[in-house]
Amino acid sequence: MRKKPRFHSLKKLKIRQDWSRWTLYNLSRLNPPNLATKTYFQQKWTAKSDTRAYHGEQIREKQWKRMFRRNLPAVVPMDHKYLARYDGSEQAAGRGAGADAMEKTKTPPMTPYMQMTYYPVERRLDTAVFRALFASSVRQARQFVVHGLVKVNGKKMIYPGYMLNPGDMFQVVPESVMMATGAQKTRSSVARRIAKEKGTAYAESRKGQGRSKTASVKVPLLADALASTPEAQTPVAEEKEPSPEELKKHLQTLMDNVEGVLAEEVKAKDKQKLREFKQTVRKAISLWRTSTPSQISTLDSQFSFLKSHLTSSKSAQSDSASGPEVRLTREEELKLSRAFDRLKEQAEFDANWNKRDPSKPYLTPWRPRDYMSAFAFIPRYLEVNQNICAAVYLRHPVARPGLAEVPTPFPLETGQLAFNWYLRRR
Amino acid sequence: MPPRLRCPNLLCATSCYPSIRPSSLPRLARVSREFSQTSCQRATLRRRKFYEWLNGPGSLLKEPIPGSTNYLGAYDKYGNLVRARPGWTRKRPGDKKAEGEKNDVATIESEEQTPAGQEIIDELEMSVRRDEEKKNDARAAEQDDKLPPETAEDLRPFPQNKHFRSQPVLSEELREAIYQRVARDGMSVSLVSVEFGVSNERVGAVVRLKQMEKEWIAQGKKLAVPYSKAVLAMVPTTPYINPSLPENKGKRPITHEAINDLIVHPATRQQLFVPVSESRHFTRVDAGKAFDNDLLPADERIPHPELVQAERDIASGLSIEERRQLAEERMEKEQERRRQQESKRLEELKKVKTVAGRRWDFVFQDVNVESVGRDGRSPKGVGWRYGFPHEDRKKGQVKIPTKVEA
Repeated sequence: MRKKPRFHSLKKLKIRQDWSRWTLYNLSRLNPPNLATKTYFQQKWTAKSDTRAYHGEQIREKQWKRMFRRNLPAVVPMDHKYLARYDGSEQAAGRGAGADAMEKTKTPPMTPYMQMTYYPVERRLDTAVFRALFASSVRQARQFVVHGLVKVNGKKMIYPGYMLNPGDMFQVVPESVMMATGAQKTRSSVARRIAKEKGTAYAESRKGQGRSKTASVKVPLLADALASTPEAQTPVAEEKEPSPEELKKHLQTLMDNVEGVLAEEVKAKDKQKLREFKQTVRKAISLWRTSTPSQISTLDSQFSFLKSHLTSSKSAQSDSASGPEVRLTREEELKLSRAFDRLKEQAEFDANWNKRDPSKPYLTPWRPRDYMSAFAFIPRYLEVNQNICAAVYLRHPVARPGLAEVPTPFPLETGQLAFNWYLRRR
Repeated sequence: MPPRLRCPNLLCATSCYPSIRPSSLPRLARVSREFSQTSCQRATLRRRKFYEWLNGPGSLLKEPIPGSTNYLGAYDKYGNLVRARPGWTRKRPGDKKAEGEKNDVATIESEEQTPAGQEIIDELEMSVRRDEEKKNDARAAEQDDKLPPETAEDLRPFPQNKHFRSQPVLSEELREAIYQRVARDGMSVSLVSVEFGVSNERVGAVVRLKQMEKEWIAQGKKLAVPYSKAVLAMVPTTPYINPSLPENKGKRPITHEAINDLIVHPATRQQLFVPVSESRHFTRVDAGKAFDNDLLPADERIPHPELVQAERDIASGLSIEERRQLAEERMEKEQERRRQQESKRLEELKKVKTVAGRRWDFVFQDVNVESVGRDGRSPKGVGWRYGFPHEDRKKGQVKIPTKVEA
């Protein structure tokens, strides 16, 4: 059987969609196409094969041919002041009477339509994941999709060929993103053996501890609690205000926990106090049956919700004068807000804490992989939030005067030749 | 037929004499045999050059430059950072010569005029940013640890492609500011879009993503902060100018992108020759009609037609109160339209019954047998119909979904 050609060859200059040093070297070697010594067919053929080695190399040719569109999208930025002042008739006024020959207006820069040949490929989910800098190559992005690590609009999408629609949000598991974009672990066998030994020793030590620990400490997280609340709510059909005694009790526990949270220094290892505080917050919120977890999903909204309801219940009770005073003084409010700030800090600290962890599949502490900075750009048709490893596909890529949004390493001539190749028989 | 045995040149001398013991030394010299599929293991010229480049010019691209982008287009063939002075190393930045270059570029750009009706927003944005940097340069000259700002060439990840460059993304603070403006202050998306110079869709996306991020924080999920910091340090970002701070008094917010993009309509791609009498007042509206009967003029097709309207009010010489009143009326009308859309959507939602499933929701909606049409072959029909086979097991039927409901 014939040997498969090398993916990264030094002999044949092919640029691939990845962040490898081979690609970088080939990028630095790339020259404008040789048009002098080749026939038109040869020019087109080389242009096509070069561009296809980069754009959607994982797609079969027939599939790509079906995706190809000869209508290329473009936009022109408009000036609203001009549109308000003129109605367009001034461009035609005086034409034929010599007015047009007198003045010479600057022409806008050319719109590089021919660089947009491969814009349908950018719509694919795997390519978009790569362009959002969530994977180090399109093949890896494709693997992420196939392995179920990518969600589109919150639902698992396992088809790398899914064509994103404008407004679609896709998210990748952050751990995989860190693995894909982080520096690799050391490859020496000795280091690997040592790491393995250490890892097993660590795991054994953890095993001994973990059993006792899990038995004693089982504190549900806020997420679990919130997820479980709708079921808890459904049997109680009536929506009633909680009784003042109940309220007071909860308020007291809440405040106790606030004390605890504020007294404790933020440490990485024990989050007991914070968890307890979160739990009481959840309980206090669940007292009001009307509120749904979706409304109070962020810490800010939880805080404002608690504050408003505690103060409003206070006034309602003082009117009825039935129970003991449930009041939030100014200091208590301040304390509550500080406790919430502490929660936020804790979350930030957890995420920031870029510690050494041998169980991770990437080098820890995390740092970007080599040569990543040379490839790090985010095209304008994507809006990416790196913290949660999610991005929104805003619109299809467009050409505008002087600028094409499809990231392609080839010069305009190559793009034009490739476009002409696919225009054939159409 | 078996392949002909050939005596390789090198081994000829050694292997021809009869030897009992295999001579290992000369055999080692030749690593791959001719019929072997393994490629040559020795370092070829190409490979040597590759490593030369990696250890020479390529070594600068291995690590990011702190506080700057690091693209291939910023370097020349020999691995010198073009915008820095000749003897620049990573530890020693900043100089006078590059500043001079930068000023030249600025003057060239200011000479170019924008053609009628189009705004070159990127130039504007770059110039604003350059002003910013100019102010910073005074400080940087003292500190002497900063590179000059990137020019358009420096932002090219692909040096051969002159029509692509790495464009700035929103900085973390700007995203937060946009989210706060929409979520806390309750401003409409289009107003926020005009205020920050960020397109409508992007504002919506930023709010959606920020909301999700805050939910993650409340749930105690771990964010990818090291990754985020590293990426935002590598790509150019649009900074947020906080107007509440005293040092930012009188500064405009930096425009992120062009917000009034007009999509090129396919009908306008062709060149058209329409004879029009000289006396006729031929406007944009007429031009649109000439291309396509349904083609609206640009003032109505851009994302922010209200800006044009406001500008027209100013031009017509109305007082501030009148203008405000008109703007409020228009806004009221817009909100009314939106409310109607919303109520219509809710009406539609009421018709279907949704039962939450484990992964997907079950949606029940009323169907009508009559929807198959007279001949019973309309694709709108539901259920199995006699004589109308399902095609979903046929060859070539694509099962990849075309849309996912948000």
